[in-house]
Amino acid sequence: MKVLNKIAADFDNTINESDSKLRNIRIENFEEFKKTGIPTSKEEFWKYTDPSIVNDSEFSLGIPNNFEDKSFDIIIANGKIIGNKNIDEVTNIKIGLEEKIIEVSDFNKTSNPFINLNNAFLEEGCVINFGKDAEREIKVLNIVDNTNSQQIIHPRIVVKAGKNSNISILEEIRFLGGKKNLVNSVTSFSLEEGANVEHIIIDDFSEDTYQISNVLVKQKKDSTFSSYNYSNAKNLARKDFIVELKERGSHCDLRGVYLADKKNHIDHHTIIEHEKEHCTSNELYKGILSGKSTGVFNGRIHVHNDAQKTDAIQSNQNILLSDNAIIHTKPELEIYADDVKCTHGATVGQLDEKGIFYLRARGIKRKEAQKMMMRAYVGEVLIGIKNEETKNNLLEKIIQNIPDGEA
Amino acid sequence: MLKIKDLHASVEETSILKGINLEVNAGETHAIMGPNGSGKSTLAQVLAGHEDYEVDKGSVEYLGNDLLELDVDERACEGIFLAFQYPVELPGVNNTYFLKSALNAQRKHRGEDEIDAMDFMDIISDKIKLLNLKDSLLKRPVNEGFSGGEKKRNEIFQMAVLEPKLALLDETDSGLDIDALKIVANGVNAMKSDDRATIVVTHYQRLLNYIVPDFVHVLVDGKIVKSGDKTLALELEEKGYEEVIKEAKN
Repeated sequence: MKVLNKIAADFDNTINESDSKLRNIRIENFEEFKKTGIPTSKEEFWKYTDPSIVNDSEFSLGIPNNFEDKSFDIIIANGKIIGNKNIDEVTNIKIGLEEKIIEVSDFNKTSNPFINLNNAFLEEGCVINFGKDAEREIKVLNIVDNTNSQQIIHPRIVVKAGKNSNISILEEIRFLGGKKNLVNSVTSFSLEEGANVEHIIIDDFSEDTYQISNVLVKQKKDSTFSSYNYSNAKNLARKDFIVELKERGSHCDLRGVYLADKKNHIDHHTIIEHEKEHCTSNELYKGILSGKSTGVFNGRIHVHNDAQKTDAIQSNQNILLSDNAIIHTKPELEIYADDVKCTHGATVGQLDEKGIFYLRARGIKRKEAQKMMMRAYVGEVLIGIKNEETKNNLLEKIIQNIPDGEA
Repeated sequence: MLKIKDLHASVEETSILKGINLEVNAGETHAIMGPNGSGKSTLAQVLAGHEDYEVDKGSVEYLGNDLLELDVDERACEGIFLAFQYPVELPGVNNTYFLKSALNAQRKHRGEDEIDAMDFMDIISDKIKLLNLKDSLLKRPVNEGFSGGEKKRNEIFQMAVLEPKLALLDETDSGLDIDALKIVANGVNAMKSDDRATIVVTHYQRLLNYIVPDFVHVLVDGKIVKSGDKTLALELEEKGYEEVIKEAKN
């Protein structure tokens, strides 16, 4: 297969040049990846999303380019850091992966081939280490230079949030060209006791993007993780969020808005492991689908034996703007404790016509009325974002990208 | 201002209005009364431009133009205001933002500049007192969590801000206690002027003690069977619809 041959060649090239201390990890992960290759929809976990459609494509590993945007703290081009600013002792941003600040166990091989593949290309990555009580907002820009050739990138961000730290990480992606590309990203978080982490993802893809993304979160006692995830699919995107509530009193909010038009495909899998007692989770994902697009939301909540007094809420809402758009929505609850509260719900529908009529009856044009209704629908998801400017900009971006009905 | 001729309308092929004739001049207040299911609300909806209703026959002339040619938002911009029987809740749509968007849409239609935030707040604070509404309702999503009375007062508040030429009040009295009824009626009366007309659709005479009509029409089975002055409403209250309808048929 074209895609695998090219990946293997790139791996051999970079591993030979590499004197990284992570060499063993990389080799081990690549061996594991080779065993499975790229999964197909025959596997239950990939039932609705078939990444093997990239098998006949050839992607090059990226070459960093100079790029500047002062509104970001860290700029990563084709997976490599090309610029950063505002480094200070509190945030202690480490460029690349240094063995002394990472835990090798973070890169163990997994059952997910794409995480293994990302691990295999751990040549450079971005570790952001926040000390105890650190307060900081960091914006990361991921640049994909797909101007001249089809690109594959494996961005890796590792965030360590110290005890009682209060952190916001924003990740945005930008494409410089229009060539086909494959983005295989992994962002992992570990939260110490009492840490409060906000994570905002702005995935506004260029035409012809295949994306596999994994966000991995491990939380200790009384920590809070709040995720706001925006996806505008432009071919195929599969995004997984795996949150492990490992200690008492930890809480996570997973919120997302997804758009897809034409024949594009967007799939979100969330997995929340409620491992200990008194943990709470709250999920709200909303989709707007048009044309012949397909959306998937699979929300798994796993309440372990010890996780008494769990409180888990999950809601997935969808607006289908055309008759040919499809949404697969599936809650997956597995509960082993007996004193828990878990609620889930899913809705699929159109914009409220009564509401639109009401707005129009006051003189507001149909298009504008629809926009106001959409703004309200999307706004509910973003409501908790701390930085008002970030929140408003994101809302505007999403509103502008909402597809027209049939297209 | 408004000339309705032989208006027939249906919803999902069920005929509801079966030949309405009505003329409303500027400065007048008309009450449309009638038993449940007679087509009162349908008339208000058809005039406002609800797309679920099909006009099968007849004409409606408004300020010299064909009203039926206009979409609902164009009618609103031309000065028609429908106070809803059941105001819609709009979660996430801020009340002030909504009202400002509506006012600006109408101003734009008339070729006027958009109103700035300061002037808008001046208008709002004037009118909100008139309807005895809490300021906090302005910051809330439209109608969400409002009590029945607050929703109806919010309708008249919107009307006061938008200053329509023709107001259609659809069962504005339903669900109001007597105090709220007086407030709503005050709001409507405060807007009474020589260049504005009002059509009040109601089941009960009660509201007409406060919003005094110049004309009362009895609508039965999609037709106006009797018209008169305000005493007709009292007669209806006294004798009941059936008796009055019987007399009208004889």
